[in-house]
Amino acid sequence: MTTVSDIEALIARVALGDRRAFGVLYDATSAKLFGVALRVLDNRAEAEDALQEVFVKVWHKAGQYRVNGLSPMTWLITVTRNHAVDRLRARRAGTAQIDEAAELADLTPGPEAQVIARSEAARLTACLATLDPDRAEAVRRAYMEGESYVELASRFGLPLNTVRTWLRRSLQKLKDCLTS
Amino acid sequence: MSDPRDPDEDRMQAAEYALGLLTASESRAFESRLGVEPLLRAEYALWAEDLAALAAAVPAEPVPPAAFRAIEARLFPDERVSLWRRLGLVQAVLAAAVAAVLLLVVTNLGWLSVPPGPTLGAEIAAADQTLILQARFDPATATLTLQRAAGGVAAGRAHQLWLIAGDAVPLSLGLLADAGTTTLTLTPQQAVLLDGAVLAISDEPPGGSPTGQPTGAVLATGVIAAQL
Repeated sequence: MTTVSDIEALIARVALGDRRAFGVLYDATSAKLFGVALRVLDNRAEAEDALQEVFVKVWHKAGQYRVNGLSPMTWLITVTRNHAVDRLRARRAGTAQIDEAAELADLTPGPEAQVIARSEAARLTACLATLDPDRAEAVRRAYMEGESYVELASRFGLPLNTVRTWLRRSLQKLKDCLTS
Repeated sequence: MSDPRDPDEDRMQAAEYALGLLTASESRAFESRLGVEPLLRAEYALWAEDLAALAAAVPAEPVPPAAFRAIEARLFPDERVSLWRRLGLVQAVLAAAVAAVLLLVVTNLGWLSVPPGPTLGAEIAAADQTLILQARFDPATATLTLQRAAGGVAAGRAHQLWLIAGDAVPLSLGLLADAGTTTLTLTPQQAVLLDGAVLAISDEPPGGSPTGQPTGAVLATGVIAAQL
């Protein structure tokens, strides 16, 4: 099994143009990232295109990975999720591109930005379970399906501002749970 | 909207940004702050980590094998590996033809009775002849001697010599001196592969390839054949 520091080392070597490391990184992470792209896009051909574009990005942007403060798998997952959500939104049309988030090139690293990698999945699931099911569902839909406030408002039959307040409270509650 | 320096508001905006819920103009404003505010960046990074757990919980899915080839074709249109393979194939065929002719000549002339047999060697040359090395293998000492006839090493770089037998992955034989002669001692396993194999020189960082495989440009190649 490839560890976090293995993946970090592979990304560092990819940043130096090491094609063999790129192949190893692909072998270690592509199935996971393909799973993410497929879950978001729900279409194999599109998920495969998305995966290709994600790895083209990874090759070109590996050098910027260190400065964004994300752990290596989070970076790869975030690049994949953002790219897949952008494709999904382009299908639905009309919302802002969010792709830049994980790739910001001009950030200078600060100690505050260094985030300790944590095993999060179980904690997040547990904390989401403390929210009302509707609100947990809204967070999940926003992240995994790229739904906007407008879409969430219409889905839950609420005014947009109400949904925003409602979701923000849920996110705060989620954060309190995650940091407790 | 609210006071941008309110930490609670920042935390919420970071979450909305990570979820992609901000409008295009809010998103741009947030990004410009992200570039200069480490605390905001840390806030975003925390949310990114937390939310990535949603995606991390999705099961892995086998990727169709063609996907990686498509990625490589997009990133490296002048495919070095297949070029090597092509070179290897063409040169192996040529080498086999040369070897067959030599065998005929040698057999007909009765040279097989001469004890040491033909010496193996190669001219390793760049296509434009800017880099040329003469290689000779002495079976008695198992040494491969390389004489630099043209071309030097770029400042801060190294030349690494590789042995490519058929379709096998390149084997590193070692680094070459920047000038003059380099003598490399081969293992018996390397020596038996020489006849008909390709010697190639790649451009590498000082100390050689960090990966065990060529990482830089292939500068020159040559097929090893019997030298008369």
